[in-house]
Amino acid sequence: MKISVRQICFILLCYNAVSKMLLYPTVLSHYCGRDLLFAALIDFGVQAVVVWAVSFLCSRTDKTFFQLLEGTFGNIFARIIYGLFALFFIAATIVPLCEQKLYVHTIFYDTVPSLLIFLPFFFFSIYAAGKKFTNIGRSADVCMPIFVLSLIFVFSMSVLEIKWSSFMPVLKTPVKDLFGGALGTVFRFVEPCYVLMFMGHFKYKKGDAAKMTISYIGGALTVLLFLFTFYGIYGDIAQSRQFAVSKISLFFPAIDTIGRIDFIALYILEIVMLFALVLNIQLALHCVMKCTGYQNRAVLSLAVNAALIILLLVFDHGFNNLHTFYAKWMWIAFAVFANAIPVLAWTLRRKER
Amino acid sequence: MIKRFSVFIYWAIMIALIALFFTNDYGVVDIHKSAIIVAVGIDPAGEEVQVTAQLALPQPSQSGENVQYKEVQGSGLTVADALNEINSKTGFYPRLQFCKLILLGEGCQQHELFRILGCFYRRNYSELTALVAMCEGKAQDMLAMPATVNPETYTAVQRVLSEELAKSANVSSVNLKDVAVSNYSESEACCMPYIQASKPGTSQSGGNGDNVGGESAGGGQGGGSSGGQSGGQGGGQGGGQGGGQSSAQSGGSSSGQSGGEGQPVDFTARKTAVFARGKFAGLLDEQQSFAYNILKNNIRLAVLPCDSEGIHYTVGLKNTTGGVKLKVKNGVPELTLKFKANAQIQGVKKVMQPEEVMYDDVVQKNVLRGAEKAVEERFDALIKMCVENDCDILGAKELLHKYNHKYWNAFRGDLLTRMKVNYDVEIISHN
Repeated sequence: MKISVRQICFILLCYNAVSKMLLYPTVLSHYCGRDLLFAALIDFGVQAVVVWAVSFLCSRTDKTFFQLLEGTFGNIFARIIYGLFALFFIAATIVPLCEQKLYVHTIFYDTVPSLLIFLPFFFFSIYAAGKKFTNIGRSADVCMPIFVLSLIFVFSMSVLEIKWSSFMPVLKTPVKDLFGGALGTVFRFVEPCYVLMFMGHFKYKKGDAAKMTISYIGGALTVLLFLFTFYGIYGDIAQSRQFAVSKISLFFPAIDTIGRIDFIALYILEIVMLFALVLNIQLALHCVMKCTGYQNRAVLSLAVNAALIILLLVFDHGFNNLHTFYAKWMWIAFAVFANAIPVLAWTLRRKER
Repeated sequence: MIKRFSVFIYWAIMIALIALFFTNDYGVVDIHKSAIIVAVGIDPAGEEVQVTAQLALPQPSQSGENVQYKEVQGSGLTVADALNEINSKTGFYPRLQFCKLILLGEGCQQHELFRILGCFYRRNYSELTALVAMCEGKAQDMLAMPATVNPETYTAVQRVLSEELAKSANVSSVNLKDVAVSNYSESEACCMPYIQASKPGTSQSGGNGDNVGGESAGGGQGGGSSGGQSGGQGGGQGGGQGGGQSSAQSGGSSSGQSGGEGQPVDFTARKTAVFARGKFAGLLDEQQSFAYNILKNNIRLAVLPCDSEGIHYTVGLKNTTGGVKLKVKNGVPELTLKFKANAQIQGVKKVMQPEEVMYDDVVQKNVLRGAEKAVEERFDALIKMCVENDCDILGAKELLHKYNHKYWNAFRGDLLTRMKVNYDVEIISHN
């Protein structure tokens, strides 16, 4: 087996959480104001059900998703679906990739906001994307403890500044805005697809579906706690504060005296964020391999990353338009690929365990 | 094919990465060429704003720390324009990450607050931790004044805005975040300390214990206990010359002169400038500021002058709890100002008897009632000021919106004039 259940759980917990700590809280504050937690709860609730559905499906078959498609509809159809999933994973990478670039430019290298500063990321990406599921799992093993430590560090520096009254009155945001916020940010939720892709690549034991779902809920609770902290600190001006993770610990009294020690945790979290970002590229590569049948990972990794570099160059100065497009329209693609297809996988012909 | 050349590819990548690594400057900033903005003063000049940046210039030194402080001025239609001019004069990228103080000159009272401060909230220009205050006279003059307690003006001003001082109800320190959160709340009001400079060794008399400052450093009437605006144009000895570089300088341990020929001054910040809907609404005097601070700040020890049976007492208030609550009872909004504290006598205007001092923690009831009356009088003055200026700095509208939401539309327009105000003041003996 290529990956273990523990490693999948780590991915569903920490990659899920770190991928929603930059612009997600700002955008959600803009849409829903003080009721942002409820909009997040809607998204996480739906995704948790889908994650459970897919992980429970793993208990019913040893086959991979590709084999299930192949067994039901034939090889060509399976390749087409995997080709579409490859495009989906690339599409799911673009906004987080642009966000990362902006984050690195704004927070870490603000005086040299050049695209060249961010491009070395692709050295890492080309190398990592060419690796197999085994390496994805090992990366998660490495990321989990540093994620926990750095997050505790950041939270402990922020907790005193939270004002509970920022969330009052509760649920006075119009329902339209609440669901608008949930729908407009749904393109950040791809975790059910991870489980779908890992299906058949790990040995399922009794209770593993519950473990995976609980891990996902753990990630969701971490994000909710993060949103609570962010909005609790900034209140109604939260929507003007970008890159939330770098803003919540600013008011820790010691920072005035000894400087931005929170940057230690931020740099560590950045490592986890990069691994989380690369996971999408790794899965895109996996889908391209299945679709084309071409097995040379190095060449495919170069090709996929070259496509991403081109997209990054294209959207270098158009992030706002890109984000607006994703918020307005991409929920359709995510509803299909991250929700409908994983659930419909239950209808595929499978050999009972 | 690729496997055959994999070793070469690996080494090529490694060499490229090593080359990249060793060709950068490791992010090292030459400290001798740097100029860090530690404070900015903002004065409106017609349609433009004049920004005076106090720069910390690290100097080569054989032993210990040696930093020069200089003021550089820029102007423009926005604060960002002015900072850009400062950049061109200092040759250093003017990000305000190290800026700990934003001083607004008195002239800002005539302008929209967030037209002036807006720049600091945009993107990642500065963090919202910088303290904000308004000063008597021009900010550029105040930044150029040397202080008696510290050679660097910004450190001296920071001292009078310190968290420790806020815990004694002597100042209502706020940072950029607090100002914006209050202003953009339902109350649409915010406040900031009002800093005055006075000549050292002078003190205003006749404030019944609330004496502040003294003779204005600018020659006018300073401090005092009047609620009005005092002093007028303050300072003025050093100051940035229009668009140029001022001569102010103070050198770390060497206590260099700031403002050239200027005399050192004392700073106080016991008055509070209040804003409603982004516009200046008035000044809270020392008593009103004290009332505001004991309600809003986390107080450790506040000193309250009061009278009882014709004798003046100075009472120390410990273990305080203060707060504002709003409830709607029988269709009438009721605002309750709550304050509880333990009192101990710190001073009495009569001859001390050694055998009585040991009972200072056991405060007589008449003194406690006198202290409660003094607190209520200060609350009264604060409420009167808020109502007269339609300035909701106590956050009554916010409380209505948050905790009595169903009455929001009914009272939002004229809450301050319709609400009934109750005081729940309880001061008990420390022992």
